[in-house]
Amino acid sequence: MKRWSLVLAVAILFFGVVLAACGGNNSGSGGSSGSGTSTATAGSGSQSSGNSSSASSSSGEEKVVLTMGSWRTEDVEAYEKIIAAFNQHHPNIEVQFKPTKNTEYNTVLNTELSTGGGPDIIHLRPYAAGQVLADAGYLVPLTDLPGLEKFSETTLRAATGSDGVVYGVPTVFSSTQIFYNKKIFADLNLQVPSTWDELIATAETLKKNGIIPFSFGSKEGWLLSLTHGMLGPAIYGGSDFVQKVTTGQTNFQSEAFVASIQKLLDLVPYFPDNYVGLGMDDMRNLFVTEQAGMFVMGDWEIAVMKGMNPDLDMDAFPVPWPDGTQTITTWVDGSFAVNANSPNKEAALKFLEFMTTEEFGTLVVNELKKPSTIPGVVADDPLVAKLSQFADTISTPYMFVVYFNSGNPTSKSVLENSLQAMFLGEMTPAQVAEEVQKSVDTWFKP
Amino acid sequence: MNKQTSARRWRFGLIHLFPLPALAIYTLFIVYPILAAFTYSFYDWQGFKRGSWVGLDNFVDLFTREPFNRLFWNALGNNVYYFVLEMVVQNVLAFILAYIVYTRIKGAGFLKAAYFVPRLLSVIVVGFLFKLILNPNNGALNTLLKKVGLASWAKPWLGDPDTALTAIILVNCWFGMGFALLLFLAGLQSISREVIEAARIDGAVGFRLIRTVIMPMMMQSIIIVTVYTFIHAFEAFELVYAMEGSQGEPVNSTDTLAIFFYRVAFGGSGGADSTAVGLGSALAIVMFFIIATMSALFLYLTRNREVQQ
Repeated sequence: MKRWSLVLAVAILFFGVVLAACGGNNSGSGGSSGSGTSTATAGSGSQSSGNSSSASSSSGEEKVVLTMGSWRTEDVEAYEKIIAAFNQHHPNIEVQFKPTKNTEYNTVLNTELSTGGGPDIIHLRPYAAGQVLADAGYLVPLTDLPGLEKFSETTLRAATGSDGVVYGVPTVFSSTQIFYNKKIFADLNLQVPSTWDELIATAETLKKNGIIPFSFGSKEGWLLSLTHGMLGPAIYGGSDFVQKVTTGQTNFQSEAFVASIQKLLDLVPYFPDNYVGLGMDDMRNLFVTEQAGMFVMGDWEIAVMKGMNPDLDMDAFPVPWPDGTQTITTWVDGSFAVNANSPNKEAALKFLEFMTTEEFGTLVVNELKKPSTIPGVVADDPLVAKLSQFADTISTPYMFVVYFNSGNPTSKSVLENSLQAMFLGEMTPAQVAEEVQKSVDTWFKP
Repeated sequence: MNKQTSARRWRFGLIHLFPLPALAIYTLFIVYPILAAFTYSFYDWQGFKRGSWVGLDNFVDLFTREPFNRLFWNALGNNVYYFVLEMVVQNVLAFILAYIVYTRIKGAGFLKAAYFVPRLLSVIVVGFLFKLILNPNNGALNTLLKKVGLASWAKPWLGDPDTALTAIILVNCWFGMGFALLLFLAGLQSISREVIEAARIDGAVGFRLIRTVIMPMMMQSIIIVTVYTFIHAFEAFELVYAMEGSQGEPVNSTDTLAIFFYRVAFGGSGGADSTAVGLGSALAIVMFFIIATMSALFLYLTRNREVQQ
């Protein structure tokens, strides 16, 4: 009996080692304990997709099938229209839009890429997250892609590797602006404010009339950096400050930046009761049910809010600076890149080229209802058209997404955490600035 | 004779082969990931790409580098608090209720089922439900407090660092009590009625009966519930995630080791911006050792506490 159990033990150990070795070969990528299962399934999925695309490309001499990965499961219809438009120009290139669930996309894509598969055209997360893939050598450098010169350098930053080479075509902007309830504003005879003081006066009037001025809550950190990213530039001086801070002429402990945080704290009287316990859903509810007059929020919420209350009469205005300058905050929401392992790079690059045309830009604003990265594109929907125009003319970058979303933990999350502590009375604006600077110092050299 | 022996041996050996399929699955899904996490923790990672061998650097980082060291001890403290509060509230209440059900009061069967019902809900549903109940401005709890004139007690429960974790743990107690109750009830029912009768005749009544007769005789259930609660508290993730997300908000007050691990290894809400698989694996290994050692120690220390009937 002893001998048998010994043999068994050896067999199990051996079996385990073999399994471990196999696993190690084809998936050097999983997370850690617990992610083994997802690695296995993702790996097999990528193999099948890789096979299908290469098989179909070899069967027909000219006909090419491309797969296109994305996290936008909501946009299947829109991309079908975009692909149809592309096929007007290139009838022999068939493109299949195959999105993965938003929260799973990164993990699935990473495992696919590390096993040599993945879609031909990759929807690239902006900035640091996309840069990781470029730096790992998974993407085709777009050194001479025609049409890329249309984009500004700030826009291209979203898809630039740490070697300074562009790897993706940015497609849409996300933007934050102040939404307001037109009906409430009309009832109270309020105008869209054009200076910071007028903004405060507007908030004061709303409050006196029993309306919550700003639909805001500090329970979820990402909303804090988002709000600071929108209102902050008015105080620290927008793109000028960004330029100075990235070149080392100033830092986050400067008066201007501390003041931008202090101004958020000064807005507390205009926030809802118990705002420290309110999150995204609560904020949206307050605005949609017309209990709040203004809402600092991203363009992606327009569709959600309209869906919840179709009668909501809302519009948006940019943040007014103390000197009357106006800005909205934008950042690139995503780019498209070509998989370095793709057997059909030429065809995939054709599609990317199409993505730099105004035809594509027009499809984007009308189908995806988001501001296009291509300048001068006009949308049908008045609100989208307005935001697109703002994005073209008066935008300032979302500093902590575009420039300071690195480090571990990221400087952006340090800002979020510290702002949360500030709203709970545990930190002063100066201490917030100090924490942010400390975090930035760990990885950033001007 | 010889032939018979070898046939018997063969059959005996064959029996040992039957667990192999189960063992293979166990190895693939439990043993391999644990071993993999071990190896991952010794490498430097760029995103999901494995870099060079760095030895114990990830562990050193975890315990010495700001803010990881601070966050680690903070999360560990929260886990300990999670365990203590669950023991005191959930298990004491479960024991009392189990005893009440055991005494066969009217409707005991209904009560048993009723106490267990929360357990049948999905954790995500429970989290969502209590997020609504605890909503500071239109939640049921604060509305009730205002109605009965205790408006000053109303708080943003989940937004205040002083109350957020406690609120979550109490929800967890409500959720987990039914299971502990069933285990306690099974322990109580395994004690023969004669023993209790005899103790009663000898003059043991009320709390004395519970303390000197019933509790020692159901030590097995108590140990199981305690170890189960311990493991559960140190792996606390789902409910915290459902109610406060992956950032341990507000200001790390609801950060548990598992949430901290998830955030470090897979990045937070912003996707893969800040993945640190090596550091995350190191943290997972430390968690594994804490839970394994403490559970083993606890079982060892309590091995002789059970009284044989």
